[in-house]
Amino acid sequence: MIVCVAVVGHQNNPLYIQSFTEADDALKLHHIVHCSLDVVDERVNNPKKSGLTLNETFLGLLYPTENYKVYGYLTNTKVKFILVTTDLDVRDADVRNFFRRFHAAYVDAVSNPFHVPGKRITSKTFAERVSNIVKSFGLSSAG
Amino acid sequence: MGREVSESCMDGLVTEMVSFIQHSILLQQTRNRCPPHRSHWLSGGPSALGAVRYSLFHTTSYLFHFILAVPILGLIRYTVERPRFTDHLEAIKFICKDFWTELFKKPIDNLKTNHRGTFVLQDNKFPWLSRMSGDGQSVENGMQDPESKAAQAMNMYLYFPCGIIRGALSTLGIPCAVSADISSHPACEYARS
Repeated sequence: MIVCVAVVGHQNNPLYIQSFTEADDALKLHHIVHCSLDVVDERVNNPKKSGLTLNETFLGLLYPTENYKVYGYLTNTKVKFILVTTDLDVRDADVRNFFRRFHAAYVDAVSNPFHVPGKRITSKTFAERVSNIVKSFGLSSAG
Repeated sequence: MGREVSESCMDGLVTEMVSFIQHSILLQQTRNRCPPHRSHWLSGGPSALGAVRYSLFHTTSYLFHFILAVPILGLIRYTVERPRFTDHLEAIKFICKDFWTELFKKPIDNLKTNHRGTFVLQDNKFPWLSRMSGDGQSVENGMQDPESKAAQAMNMYLYFPCGIIRGALSTLGIPCAVSADISSHPACEYARS
């Protein structure tokens, strides 16, 4: 079950952070997302020869904490998507699918002429689409 | 969910944009200079020359800032499905081939580099300039040579594509400066450093 999704800009500034559980502290989730940015940078600068190919957008599991798993995705314009989930067995294909749809929603949100690039995303349509994607992710991986 | 834009509309829009900005800046200059009871139109003489030069400078800087937002959006959409670029050369090649093809239906004809950070992109038949004649504009003062008049007038229209290239590269994370040059109409070159 997805706890939090985040969009981080190319100067590591947060563009959109949304958490989907009421119980957890938002600050803790911010902190987890922030720490995962370091892992992203590390993966980008020192690519492992055996694992990832050099120009893959999906970065995979970044690091597991005690309760959460954190997945990362890097776009061509250096914008990062971070996904924090509590699921124990998450299929790779599901996460890739999730990021693909998330990327499409992000592109549509940024194409809004009233959106200032580099500022936070305030579009309600984007928030709705993201919550739809999150809900369908939960359903598909539960089945 | 793609929408299409008519190519001739785009052509006309870009051409008109430059002359509109020039005209509106000129108008603004004259409003600031002339006292209100005089007419708004300039009346020749050395002050007109100064105003024209000043307005050209203003136009170019205005255009440059105003257009950087445009390629950011286009580029974000086009790079969705692509794997990441490993270095600058790949990013520039992407811009030369795919991005330019999407915009102008043809890739850039020639790409040269000195491997030290400078790239020259050459387009032999740039669509937005191909319909312009070499006769020059109606700016009278101080422009004796008709050749340079035409070239200078056309340079204004090159700022928009320069901005497109610059915006595209900076969206991909590569800061740069772009300059344009017309050597033989309708070919033009962009140099990026």
